[in-house]
Amino acid sequence: MKKITVILFPVLFFVLFNHIEAIAQCKQQMVYDCATNTKDAIYLRDFNTKLKKSHPDEMSGTKWTVVLNKGTRYRFNLCTPEGNQDVLLTLYDSQHPEATAPYGSTKERDSFDFICKKSGMYYVSIRFKDEGEKKKTCAVGILSFVGKNQ
Amino acid sequence: MNKKILLLLLISFIITVSCNSGGDSNKPPENIGTEDGPIVDPEAINKIIESFSSPIETAALIEDLKVAYSNKYLIPTEVASEFDSNYKKALGLGMLSSDLGYLNVYQRTNSIVEYLTVIRRLSDDLDVDQFFDFQTLKRLATNNEDLDSLMFLSVNSYNRMDEHLRKTQRSDLSALMVTGVWLEGLYLACQVNKQADNKEFRDRIGEQKNILNDLILVLKFFEKKPHFPEIIASFAELKELYDNVKITIQVGESKSQLDEKGVYVIVQDEYTVVEMSDEQLEEISKLVEKIRNKLISA
Repeated sequence: MKKITVILFPVLFFVLFNHIEAIAQCKQQMVYDCATNTKDAIYLRDFNTKLKKSHPDEMSGTKWTVVLNKGTRYRFNLCTPEGNQDVLLTLYDSQHPEATAPYGSTKERDSFDFICKKSGMYYVSIRFKDEGEKKKTCAVGILSFVGKNQ
Repeated sequence: MNKKILLLLLISFIITVSCNSGGDSNKPPENIGTEDGPIVDPEAINKIIESFSSPIETAALIEDLKVAYSNKYLIPTEVASEFDSNYKKALGLGMLSSDLGYLNVYQRTNSIVEYLTVIRRLSDDLDVDQFFDFQTLKRLATNNEDLDSLMFLSVNSYNRMDEHLRKTQRSDLSALMVTGVWLEGLYLACQVNKQADNKEFRDRIGEQKNILNDLILVLKFFEKKPHFPEIIASFAELKELYDNVKITIQVGESKSQLDEKGVYVIVQDEYTVVEMSDEQLEEISKLVEKIRNKLISA
């Protein structure tokens, strides 16, 4: 019995530690701050992720699916601790691939509006701008409703 | 014997934790939402579920179009006491969250407390109440203070409950929650459109054709669970009506520019044209109302 405990305890500790590390995201306070800084837009959803150091052959970040509706102006904004400039939020779909021709991204600014003219499923990703060694961080993307298409 | 059991339990636990770890989804399925056949990958199903609209979006559109508030569109909170199964509770939680979204955008703080109370009870029954900060929400609503925070917390609580259900292998309940939100949102759009026929709402209702197909795919994944065949059958009936709605995609011009407030705006290059007759719209509205009312009846 003792032997089993001695062998399994470190393994269990290692697995649990890695699990907590892997799922750690930005704190809810940061989600709130980011969501309430969208200039008169109504918060719909957040994309909260942890970005780890990536290796050249590994893609960082997370991708989510999101349904957007025709006739609506949406706002996407990105927040990172201490305004980390290495992170990018991208909106795309299968016709407008993430790598080559996305609809938009936060490359130049922290936020952009998207006037949707076709209801359907889209993708949002949050990744490091360039792959390679990066300091680990977290990031929050906010999707909000600005209004009907004007 | 005890050692073996302990060993097995620990190994099972380690495997479970390891399999669930990681927030990154670097290889999510790209071909979700097809009608080529049933989806068997739970991850693909979760990706579709997570994509569905927020409980506040339809309400925000209604308010933005300056449609007058009416409580007759909302589900009476008393019916929630009749939700006697997890199936009904999860569906009801989604539908009532959609109504809460409607109350939030119209800032009806008196009614908000009533809906919050019912939603808390349902979330407690489904064991997701830890994401629902009832006391703070109630205080914000009662004191009529910081309504932006109230709206944020309401929607954020819903999002976190939904996400938690998927993370804890209760995706069937998450699917029902998003179904409830979607159905109540569509019901609201249909009801508002009856009062004031509006192109935005007509298009919104017509374009739900594709979303409905995705929703049916999700629900079919859980068709062996109790009660799911009932809602699948109802939605199949609705799909038959939607099959006659024609949606075509046109290629337009992509534009991106700074607006007068200095916000960078991207206008989608493609756009859809929805062809739906008045009769089709009326048939869809009637069936949506029937399905919704049946779900909230005892």
